Amino acid sequence: MKINPVYRQESKISARSFRLPLIVLVCNSILALVALLDMYSMITQVKTTAEIQYSSFLNLYIFAAAIEFVMLLLIVPALTAGSISGERERQTLNLLLTTRITPADIVLGKLMSSLSTVFLLVVSSFPILALVFVYGGVTGRDIILLLVSFASTALLAGSVGICCSSVFKRTTIATAASYCIMAALVFGTVALQRFAASFQVPGNRSAKQGPVWLLLVNPAVTFLSAMKSQLSNVRRSSAVEMWIGNGSLSVTARWWLGISAGVQVLMAALCLWLAVRQVNPRRKRLWKG
Amino acid sequence: MLKIKGLKKMYGRAAAVDGLNMHVREGALYGFVGPNGAGKTTTIKILTGLLLPDAGEVEIDGADALKNHGEVAEKIGYMPDFFGVYDNLKVCEYMELFASCYGLYGLTARKRAMALLGQVGLEEKADYYVDGLSRGMKQRLCLARALIHDPRILIMDEPTSGLDARTRYEFREIMKDLREQGKTVVISSHLLSELSELCTDIGVVDQGKMILEGSMDDILNQINVRSPLLISVYKNREQAVNILRSHPYVETVTIRHNDIMLNFTGDREDEAVLLQQLIDAGVQICGFMRERGNLEAVFMQITSREEEGRVLINEN
Repeated sequence: MKINPVYRQESKISARSFRLPLIVLVCNSILALVALLDMYSMITQVKTTAEIQYSSFLNLYIFAAAIEFVMLLLIVPALTAGSISGERERQTLNLLLTTRITPADIVLGKLMSSLSTVFLLVVSSFPILALVFVYGGVTGRDIILLLVSFASTALLAGSVGICCSSVFKRTTIATAASYCIMAALVFGTVALQRFAASFQVPGNRSAKQGPVWLLLVNPAVTFLSAMKSQLSNVRRSSAVEMWIGNGSLSVTARWWLGISAGVQVLMAALCLWLAVRQVNPRRKRLWKG
Repeated sequence: MLKIKGLKKMYGRAAAVDGLNMHVREGALYGFVGPNGAGKTTTIKILTGLLLPDAGEVEIDGADALKNHGEVAEKIGYMPDFFGVYDNLKVCEYMELFASCYGLYGLTARKRAMALLGQVGLEEKADYYVDGLSRGMKQRLCLARALIHDPRILIMDEPTSGLDARTRYEFREIMKDLREQGKTVVISSHLLSELSELCTDIGVVDQGKMILEGSMDDILNQINVRSPLLISVYKNREQAVNILRSHPYVETVTIRHNDIMLNFTGDREDEAVLLQQLIDAGVQICGFMRERGNLEAVFMQITSREEEGRVLINEN
């Protein structure tokens, strides 16, 4: 079967290394530990007060999803930042480039391989997230929205990692640069938006919110918007609404998840285009001089 | 098979390749020789599509190598001066990976890989991890990898550097086999003695320019003409020396017992005339020959330069 050769080779190598089972084990252990501790505290509460607080199950879902999201942000850049620079360090990149496969095949093969690992990670954590279905409170739509947010985050983080890997020759520098960019997207945009919002114009409501569109590139805000219904159930929506506004007032706020996921996919596409350009030894200069 | 015309590549203000012309005929084993920094690796990188030149034309088997990389990639096999292997792959998997990079999958790829591993003597190592192979074996694996898609032209950059004498010998034998199969092979190497045994054609590059190119026999004959002439005299040495001193083509004469060594600038016909002249004068001669030239001598002579950059020939 004609599978991308780079993807096939990467999958084979990662399946043989201890890294993949270790990542799955560590991530799921953390999730399982959190879930079990939450369940234990609920059971203890039932024993002492004889009442069940169903919102605690939602807390479990929010907590487990948040941990998984943070792990995605931490793991994906590490997985992808060494992809192209690693080929350079092994001196295999030039060999691949002299064959019939294109630079785009190489970059996409690397991305697909990393996303496969992420997919395995997310799927393997489903049984833990499914604990919440025992008592309800989360619909299938909520899960799909969460997966959309995870997918856009993984794609963006992976593309940023590959882009850095193609720009920087050393894996360590590429990894550090990927984390810096992701930190800038997650924390930098919020800081910038809050800073701009601090210049309040009396009576101007939109100026009070600041440049909200900045947050469209922030995967954390996308994640929070995917969790909006669970967060509002436990009365924690104020932070999200403060940033992105009330859904009934703005179209952007109403369709925040879709728009921000779309923007992040576009950003990922831009990063991948840059990576392909950087890998291609026969690229033409964009400008001469 | 391979034609390069006016190839130029600048790195900043320095020209790595400066108007290089090169012609490799089909079925030739072409030695690409030059001192360090002469532009050999840059030229090879341009041929394999790893670098774009600033100017010039490259034609490989009738196809424009600068415009149709995909088409040219099918026709060339590239073996660089480094191994470029994945340590976590087995030998046969490594071969199959590169087979799939050329659109060969499944049984076709496996058969081709095993045939090539047999050709380079690694058939028994097919299920070994690449990590466990010796340097010589890795080098042979790289050669097999370069041949996986049955290319018409094989380009090798310093293929035997760092190998022991036995492995180099085995490598030479494989090269001869490839030549018998009709492959065109371009080898860049510093081991000149090895190239002179192996190559049919040679190109000497210096400062980004081709300064000597042709068949090995022609070039060695040419250098023989420039080598000192050795005359072993049996009787009448004084008479011979008198004749040689007054000869217009003789520049210097060195006498060692009955042997006379002279720098003679004439061609083969002039040599014959001189020999006849000596015999007619009653000099009894038991030996008359040019000192045998070799590739190393050619290389040293034509890459030594005067201050103004003119190439010197026969500066002893």
